[in-house]
Amino acid sequence: MRDVTLAIAGSGGDGVITAGDFIVQAAARKGLNAFMLKSYGPQIRGGESSARIRISDKPIYSQGDYVDFLVVFSWKDFARFTDEIQLRQGAVVLYDEADSTPPEEFPIDKDLGVELIAVPFKKMASEEIKVPLTKNMVALGVIAELLHLPLDGIKDAVMKKFGKRKPEAAQVNIEAIDLGKSWVNENLPDGTQIVLEAEGTGEPKLVMTGDDAVAYGALHAGVKVFSGYPITPASPILEFLSKWLPHFGGAVVQTEDEIAAITYAIGASWAGKQAMTASSGPGIALKLEALGLAGIAEIPLVVVNVQRVGPSTGIPSKSEQADLFQAVGGTPGDVPRVVLAPSDVEDNFQVAVEAFYIAEKYQIPVIILSDQFLGERSETIDPEVLFARKRVISRQLAKPSDLKDYKRYKLTDTGVSPMTVPGMKGGQYITSGLEHYEDGRPTSSGTLHQIMSEKRARKLPLIAEESGFVRVYGDEDAELAVLAWGSSKGAVREAIEKAREEGIKVKAIVPQLIYPIPEKKLDAALKGVKRAVVVELSFGAQFYRYLRAYYDGLPKETYSYARSGANPLLVSEVLEAIKEHAGAMNAPQEA
Amino acid sequence: MEPVKLTAKDYKTKVPIVWCPGCGDFGVLNAMQQAAAELAIPPENLMVVSGIGCSSRIAGYINAFGFNTIHGRALPIASGAKLARPEMTVWAAGGDGDGYSIGTNHFVHTIRRNADITYIVMDNHIYGLTKGQVSPTTPHGDYTKSTPMGNPDRPLNPLALALELGATYIAQGFSGNVKHLRDLIVKGTQHKGFAFINVKSPCVTFRGRQEFNVVREHGVYLDESHDPTDWNQAHEVTQWKEKIPLGVIYHVHGVPTLDQIAEDLRQKAQEQQKFESSKDLLEIFR
Repeated sequence: MRDVTLAIAGSGGDGVITAGDFIVQAAARKGLNAFMLKSYGPQIRGGESSARIRISDKPIYSQGDYVDFLVVFSWKDFARFTDEIQLRQGAVVLYDEADSTPPEEFPIDKDLGVELIAVPFKKMASEEIKVPLTKNMVALGVIAELLHLPLDGIKDAVMKKFGKRKPEAAQVNIEAIDLGKSWVNENLPDGTQIVLEAEGTGEPKLVMTGDDAVAYGALHAGVKVFSGYPITPASPILEFLSKWLPHFGGAVVQTEDEIAAITYAIGASWAGKQAMTASSGPGIALKLEALGLAGIAEIPLVVVNVQRVGPSTGIPSKSEQADLFQAVGGTPGDVPRVVLAPSDVEDNFQVAVEAFYIAEKYQIPVIILSDQFLGERSETIDPEVLFARKRVISRQLAKPSDLKDYKRYKLTDTGVSPMTVPGMKGGQYITSGLEHYEDGRPTSSGTLHQIMSEKRARKLPLIAEESGFVRVYGDEDAELAVLAWGSSKGAVREAIEKAREEGIKVKAIVPQLIYPIPEKKLDAALKGVKRAVVVELSFGAQFYRYLRAYYDGLPKETYSYARSGANPLLVSEVLEAIKEHAGAMNAPQEA
Repeated sequence: MEPVKLTAKDYKTKVPIVWCPGCGDFGVLNAMQQAAAELAIPPENLMVVSGIGCSSRIAGYINAFGFNTIHGRALPIASGAKLARPEMTVWAAGGDGDGYSIGTNHFVHTIRRNADITYIVMDNHIYGLTKGQVSPTTPHGDYTKSTPMGNPDRPLNPLALALELGATYIAQGFSGNVKHLRDLIVKGTQHKGFAFINVKSPCVTFRGRQEFNVVREHGVYLDESHDPTDWNQAHEVTQWKEKIPLGVIYHVHGVPTLDQIAEDLRQKAQEQQKFESSKDLLEIFR
């Protein structure tokens, strides 16, 4: 096989995620593509967790619908993931013989004809290595041997993690890996293998999560103040910047609440430094009033929303795309804002840079709509692509000539007015959440409110023109299109490839800029399209309804494929949606 | 060349003042402008952040970088500004509703972080901008538009709260004594850390002119017998029932500030590992 999906399921203490991390890193070192999705139960410690890893020499866009190779430490824990871990026909399943569940009670579909192999993971770790915690490393050795994964790469990854700080731990882990490997050679016939035939390029790749990528992108774009409040699944952004931003001259504050997090950032940006905050849906809800303040006061600001399943607390550890209306329409009043949606891990980096570019250039709050599926997954990335696109990030500061009778909110053709920062003599002004004159003085004049609303809105078409990036995949001249946004891109992209292999002409259209709608670019992408399916993980079909309400260029026949989130979008369900509509398209026309 | 001498007039703006005639906040505005002049802060180096309420309009009346923000959020915005630009003087201002009701959480944590800003609260014991509802410092039993049967709640004691939370500069002023208030603001601004000044600033419209007399009759100016570095003495003063303490109640030095801590962290981080550019950080992902 050149494209293998494996999953490891166990309880929190089993080291499932660590094992998964090592596999991904090993693949990255060989120049292979890898993708890992972590999944947890709600427990802080213990509880169930799973790592789902896909490895290929071809580009990987999704988590893979079906698992070829499964390792189960505990059937009870695995039973919680049967929703998301679906096995392929004839998959290989290794389970710990220490688990006393009788085989007839294994939560596995008998019709799949899987090959079940009992392995003494726990016993080997306890009795031979004498460290029960190395169970995951024994499993890693078994997996590596059965899949023909590069063992040296795994060992490198182990050394990187433990080598410097805990050399003894590194040694023990490597012994455990070797033990797993020899167990396979001694106990399993040659036929029991799912050999990964993919050869890497040999050029090592990077491994990054989406949360790290957005944080790193912000750092690269020059963020100087980050303020955040812990929330799943956005906390890794706070943690990344807490660790690294001081090295680059910045400051991070973990604030008392979500409102303080956004208002610290607003204060810092008003004072002249690039600033960002990050949260997830419930936290964003608390920030919205302040977002409106940044809007009317025209203060550059970047806000990341790593969406999770809502409403309210919802399912904090899982993904959904249902904060779109909140991003586009939340906050009272007609607030100018920009909404950008990254579509994979690398894109999280790019979008962070783009967000600062727009925020600073146009003095406007920018929301990055990531999600748990992007934020918490790991992907391999080519190092060069990250910095391929150059953006010069700078604020349009007032010139000396502007400072005579300075007008902070001067009416201009672009809607962007020269901004001063403290320390600029003659640059003092009053700003507020109040509607104002050009010089910032408050007003309750309706005429002025109209004029200022127009001024602020003038930025939007310019942003749509300049930053309105729309990705198009598949057949350029297809009459059938799939419209998707954000993390749905992966499954959609694979689905259209599958559809095309089956002879269906189809393309996928994925805008990166969600608000304002990049109309011209979307028009161009939809040229010749007679029928479209809008695919998303939102029960209320928010993207479909949003496009219907805000965009005139949709084909008359536009359908919605929408369901609630939590379970990742599958390639197969998108393919089915494509076939449904393609089928109708190919049906004979009635006279 | 002699530096140009700044006067209170240099801190006036053209923004029309919306306060009622006789409002206590005029005294606070004068005191702030005089303090800025005395400290000779160039207007472009002064940032004045306020929340929402009658008193929060003050940010527009001082020639500075003024920011009349949203309800209750003056302190985190001021803290973010100070963190970004430690070389600037940052004042935060607002009312009792803004600071002790909707913004209480920030009051608590700004004290905890000892952000180097001066926070002036114009405490008039009423919501004035919304025309007369009960506030967190309205005395028990008082009749307001939202307490037609008398205020059922006991008032909050901001001075005692600040002291318990570990504030490093706590003072109380009176808008009827501008000179005294000016000195409190000057001292507070010179203080390295969070300087909290509660100002008795009567609302003549909804609490009546006699509020000035209440402060005049019950106000006691702290003299040399009060040692502001003595926590126990300070605590006793904050517990006065009839008398209203005026002056510096508590003042201690040497507690690290928000921006100092950030600077120390930067230095420590950069000593540990120096990066030429953000691209060098790629190594951590290999």
